Amino acid sequence: MAGQQPNRQNAQHELWLELMQFYISESWLLDDRKFDEWLDIFTEDVFYFMPRRLNVGRQDISQELSSVGDLAIFEDDKTYLSMRVARLDTGMAWAEDPPSRTRHIIGNLVVEQLPNGDIRSKTAFILYRSHHETDENLFSGSREDHLRKEDGRWKIYKRVIVLDSNVILAKNLSVFF
Amino acid sequence: MEKKYNAIDLATGKLNSEIFSNEVIYQEELERIFGRSWLMIGHESLIPKVNDFFHTYMGEDPVILTRDANNRLRAFLNMCRHRGNRIVRADIGNSNNYVCGYHGWTYSNQGFLEYVPGEEEAYYGALDRDGLGLIEARVETYAGIVFANWDKGAPSLEAYLGDARWCLDVAFNRLDSGTEALGPIKWIEPLNWKTAVDNCSDNYHVPTTHLSTILVQARQLGIPRLTHEQQFESPSKHLSINGHSMTMRFLERPDQPRQTHGVTQENRALFEEYYRSTLPEAERRLGGLRAGQLQLGNHSLFPNGVLGLRLAHPRGPLETEFWHFVILEKGMPSELKRALRMGSGNYNGVSGMFEQDDMDNWRGVTRSSLTPLSRKFPQDLSMGIGRAGSDPQFPGIVSERYTSENNQRHFYRRWEQFMNASNWSEIPIEPITAAFEGTATMES
Repeated sequence: MAGQQPNRQNAQHELWLELMQFYISESWLLDDRKFDEWLDIFTEDVFYFMPRRLNVGRQDISQELSSVGDLAIFEDDKTYLSMRVARLDTGMAWAEDPPSRTRHIIGNLVVEQLPNGDIRSKTAFILYRSHHETDENLFSGSREDHLRKEDGRWKIYKRVIVLDSNVILAKNLSVFF
Repeated sequence: MEKKYNAIDLATGKLNSEIFSNEVIYQEELERIFGRSWLMIGHESLIPKVNDFFHTYMGEDPVILTRDANNRLRAFLNMCRHRGNRIVRADIGNSNNYVCGYHGWTYSNQGFLEYVPGEEEAYYGALDRDGLGLIEARVETYAGIVFANWDKGAPSLEAYLGDARWCLDVAFNRLDSGTEALGPIKWIEPLNWKTAVDNCSDNYHVPTTHLSTILVQARQLGIPRLTHEQQFESPSKHLSINGHSMTMRFLERPDQPRQTHGVTQENRALFEEYYRSTLPEAERRLGGLRAGQLQLGNHSLFPNGVLGLRLAHPRGPLETEFWHFVILEKGMPSELKRALRMGSGNYNGVSGMFEQDDMDNWRGVTRSSLTPLSRKFPQDLSMGIGRAGSDPQFPGIVSERYTSENNQRHFYRRWEQFMNASNWSEIPIEPITAAFEGTATMES
């Protein structure tokens, strides 16, 4: 048994490296504005979700995140997500025309393989956004993804983004997380 | 009464843009508008249980909305009477008392100052505890939406809403089982609060500001594009009552979905089934015209209600804290609630594909008043002057066309009326004249 330990560790390391590369590539797709390619890392049945983050006392901490069924900041399926991308090319998506200049910094990756072979991963992010002349936003938060292999590639079928802000200090969220 | 503000010229539509950025005017707004108006502060469904509280705002003043120990809705200024500290610091919670974290002064959720540490020793028993209760606002509700008002001289909420309620009922008072509110999503917008409100009756901006989303809705969801005829020759009504702006659209069929956001080709049949099955109840409550022929379009409630229970909280002349809620009929099937919830959040709200495109426009309107040069040129709200009046079917001042700036002109006229009045007796209010067909009331 002891002899299998290094192999399993190697496999975990390889998986971690594979996912880290996946997330680095994703960040470049977003920051290089290759949004159609970015859409393709999600499955057709994707659930892209950003709950509201409440400011609550410690005794109510179980209510800190709004649940599914309550109003969320993002609650997208593939259709909604595709619409967000498609509208950017219409020439009339004013919130992103001129477009935001973004930098997605991803780290703190943890990867867990689920019994069915799917993956649950968690990352922390800092998203910097510069817009128009002097607008600046800094978003910080975490993303928990569920991924499965489709045609030999990892694809995300569930993404839950948790911002660290309560009142969002931005005129809009027209960028992707 | 000295008439001080002359912001809008109804004859020419010229609007003095200084009202968007002047700090002195802003401070007067907080007192004369936010200190006197019935302000939406929440919804009964946000505090369903005794002792629940929901933290909210009236203008810039933090307010605790609670269902007190006696099951009564109360609204208190979130300010300790000792040194003015905030006593509640969470968005929501459940408590029958509030302890100030500075020195421990403790208030019941009925507003009494119940406990003061060292009352006998440090204050020698001389503190006037009875006179140091929480500052309380008047509270009234309409269709589950909670309103509050600081001014004891203000008329009832029913009078304040007036005939606007005849329109609002169509969306918010249709069924016996009432509504629930989800949210809010909160964010800071770099603009004056009035620009978000006046935009509610600006049907003119929709095909330009929101074209990108209208195009992808048509392409991906099969939602027909707004035609030029619909935009400019629609028989829909655009009306103004007591500074509240309403737009009313005629339904093509009584089972047509009442909502714009969240309805798709795929779920349309489910919505139609829902509106067919609830029509008899709605007709009993609202009468045939309002239940089966009309839908409420974009609308605002004076001063800062933006499309239903969505609030533009002022944060200085150049900033607004926006709160986005969605109101759903309680008895609606969960699949339809899901569609409307997603539609509401994905088209409006901070991430909304429609609303994200509004922000820089409203900021531009706000900031055009910042320099001595740009302030010399008033804004032009002349569209449809002389083309509005009374209507046999609809209450209020009704525009001939759906696309008109009549409502905006009257919003700013209402603003002037509040700003120039020394008290409520100088603020005119339109009498209730609409025939409120059906059994629906303010409360049920």
